[in-house]
Amino acid sequence: MFKKSKFFFGVALIVGAISYLMYTGIRETSLYYLTIEEFLAKRETLANEGIRVAGRVQAGSMNWNAKDLHLSFLLGPFKENGPVHGVQVRYQGILPDMFAEGRDVIVEGRYNTGAVLEAKTIMTSCPSKYEPEKLEAKRGLEVGG
Amino acid sequence: MTHLGSLALALAFLLACYAVVTSLWGALRRQEAWITSGTHAAYAVFGCIVIAVAALLQALIIHDFNVEYVASYSSSTLPFQYTIAALWGGQKGSLLFWTFLLTFFSTIVHLQNRTKNRELMPYVTATLMVITLFFLGLLCFITPPFERLSFTPQEGSDLNPLLQNYWMTIHPPSLYLGYVSASVPFAFAIAALVTGKLSDVWIRTTRRWALTSWFFLSIGNLLGGRWAYEVLGWGGYWAWDPVENAAIMPWFTASAYLHSVMIQEKKNMLKVWNMVLVILTFALTIFGTFLTRSGVISSVHSFTQSGLGPYFMAFLLLVLTTSLGLLIYRFPELKSDNELDSLLSREAAFLLNNWVLVGLAFATFWGTVFPVLSEWVRGVKITVGPPFFNKVNGPLGIVLLFLTGVGPVIAWRRASAKSLRRNFTFSLVSGVIFGVLFFLLGYRNYYAIVVLSLAGFVLGTILSEFYRGTRARQAMLRENSAQALGRLVGKNPRRYGGYVVHVGVVLIFIGVAGSSFFKIEKQISLKPGETVEVGRYTLKYDGIKNSEDAHVASQAAVVEVFVGGRQIDTMHPEKRLYKKQNQPTTEVAIRPTLREDLYVVLGSYDEPSGLATLQVFVNPLLSWLWIGGIVLVLGTCITMLPNPAERQALALARRSVETGAEVAAD
Repeated sequence: MFKKSKFFFGVALIVGAISYLMYTGIRETSLYYLTIEEFLAKRETLANEGIRVAGRVQAGSMNWNAKDLHLSFLLGPFKENGPVHGVQVRYQGILPDMFAEGRDVIVEGRYNTGAVLEAKTIMTSCPSKYEPEKLEAKRGLEVGG
Repeated sequence: MTHLGSLALALAFLLACYAVVTSLWGALRRQEAWITSGTHAAYAVFGCIVIAVAALLQALIIHDFNVEYVASYSSSTLPFQYTIAALWGGQKGSLLFWTFLLTFFSTIVHLQNRTKNRELMPYVTATLMVITLFFLGLLCFITPPFERLSFTPQEGSDLNPLLQNYWMTIHPPSLYLGYVSASVPFAFAIAALVTGKLSDVWIRTTRRWALTSWFFLSIGNLLGGRWAYEVLGWGGYWAWDPVENAAIMPWFTASAYLHSVMIQEKKNMLKVWNMVLVILTFALTIFGTFLTRSGVISSVHSFTQSGLGPYFMAFLLLVLTTSLGLLIYRFPELKSDNELDSLLSREAAFLLNNWVLVGLAFATFWGTVFPVLSEWVRGVKITVGPPFFNKVNGPLGIVLLFLTGVGPVIAWRRASAKSLRRNFTFSLVSGVIFGVLFFLLGYRNYYAIVVLSLAGFVLGTILSEFYRGTRARQAMLRENSAQALGRLVGKNPRRYGGYVVHVGVVLIFIGVAGSSFFKIEKQISLKPGETVEVGRYTLKYDGIKNSEDAHVASQAAVVEVFVGGRQIDTMHPEKRLYKKQNQPTTEVAIRPTLREDLYVVLGSYDEPSGLATLQVFVNPLLSWLWIGGIVLVLGTCITMLPNPAERQALALARRSVETGAEVAAD
């Protein structure tokens, strides 16, 4: 006896379950991944959105309070073009390993209406010639799980 | 010496071309002489690569900083073992290392099959040499490893400090061994498709290669996780980073393959599926190595930024179109006659296992490439992070854990209610006991209790399998229990080694569940003498100890650990500065016990105020993850033991092919 319909039903069920998990997963956890220029261009439309922004820590903007573990800095363009500008970032937590002014970082967080990017995670990259991703030291609070 | 190295690479390229042409020509013309010549050329290719590797190693050891690669990835103060590790620490060296492993394995395959599989071997040679040509092409024309600078720097830039670590030294070779050994089953699959010799012979011949690949991929992934845990210092071991995903995806498909081949061998089903899995696993190894070195995923806009990306993509396209084309061509001959009879059967359980594993690979793949796809389609890059992977892969993992208990025991074809009762009563009871036990010990999380109960269920099935097998031998053969157990495993290492591997997997699940659901974390800045409470521990910060040598400077915090008022330990989390690269790294202090890990990080030290910022984690049950890893590795070793039953089956399969019992299409 050959129960083809049962088999296909089972397959459809599994495929459906996995697709559902993936669809809701993406919908609930996805973030825009922007360069600082893209972010600055459309910052008004990104209020209260979860986003990742890549940029450079602007010289003279870093403020680190070791007692309260509070960091703030200006995230600006990679190249110098014109007056110092960017978005103000606030972060609560341990100072990331290679964090310094002039370094390239990726900030993940929420852009709130106070025109501040509240960072959940800051990823620093270091100048290297091999696989850049392997050398990212991750710092930050991983929420959940 | 480096000139010799470049010459050797060029010669290898020519010899590999020769090997491809002569093997194919000899196969088409059925002339043994050409085929033999091709095989000898393949041996010679390996010889050339050995010379090239020796040349690069020599340049590294004598600190020839005029060679660009040596200057970029080593220094005069670099400890010797890391100077050797620099061979695979940089882009070009790692490609050379890959080629070395590939040609080494080709040599072994050719030696193993000197008098066997004569119909398949020419195509195996051709396939392996084509893959070799891709890498040699990169090494000869795109990224030559022996390039010299126009000047000689006084000192090298040093190996990246993050790589100057024991685990990170052995992690890439292990992964590469796993990646490269996946080429062998792939080459045999292609050969089987081309020649139409589609019986089990190619599968049984490459069984140990598939196991070896899986073995090293497992070790590679475990080591990578261990490195992340010890060195990156964020309290975890897996972040679903594109590079991590690149290494786990072929592991998922290889795991699926190791199970579905059993169905093909016993029931002659799933032949097309097995081909697909072998091709997919190999394709994922190429894709994985492409992901790791092209930066295509991590940077915000970047396909054009990568140097080698397009070449890898082109090769991947070639691999996929050729193999899938051949598969479609042979499809009518591969379709099996047997079908699934019942959903309550071992076939169904194995099929579901495959679906889940491939689903895991697919979901991981999708999540990893989503940013690139979304940019392509919508013009804006959208990324997903650990929450996505945990959300999707978590439930799939749980289903997989459940199947691990069901699959080995449930009856073939159709399980009756009686057999279900007989086989699963003990394990269901042990599952419940585990769940209740952990609940009473304070692990109060619904999801976690489900995982831990399933863990008990699976351990119950495995225990009952060993018990029943041992008792049966004792009854029939009058052996004592130790003898019976030993011979039970010895006579069927594949099955019982597999059970040990499953025990390892269960322990890993326990470690993951404990550390994911019950993790405690605290960040605080302390002056010397101040204390902090984390979980059941009280930590007292005593001050900073500084030390320095020519290579590295370090600041270590002295942290005393108390439980219930009594001091149990002193820990020294460090911040190091590697001088050549001017790069700080974290040396985490870990106090592991079977119950939990105490994990302390020195975040930063502010000299003026004397404040040390500490990040403290308590990771319950995490040690079981590493123990599970060791058990998994031991179990794999058992499965690879010589197997008299296996040898008989392979000989039988070969004989039936030779006597023409199988119809070979032309």
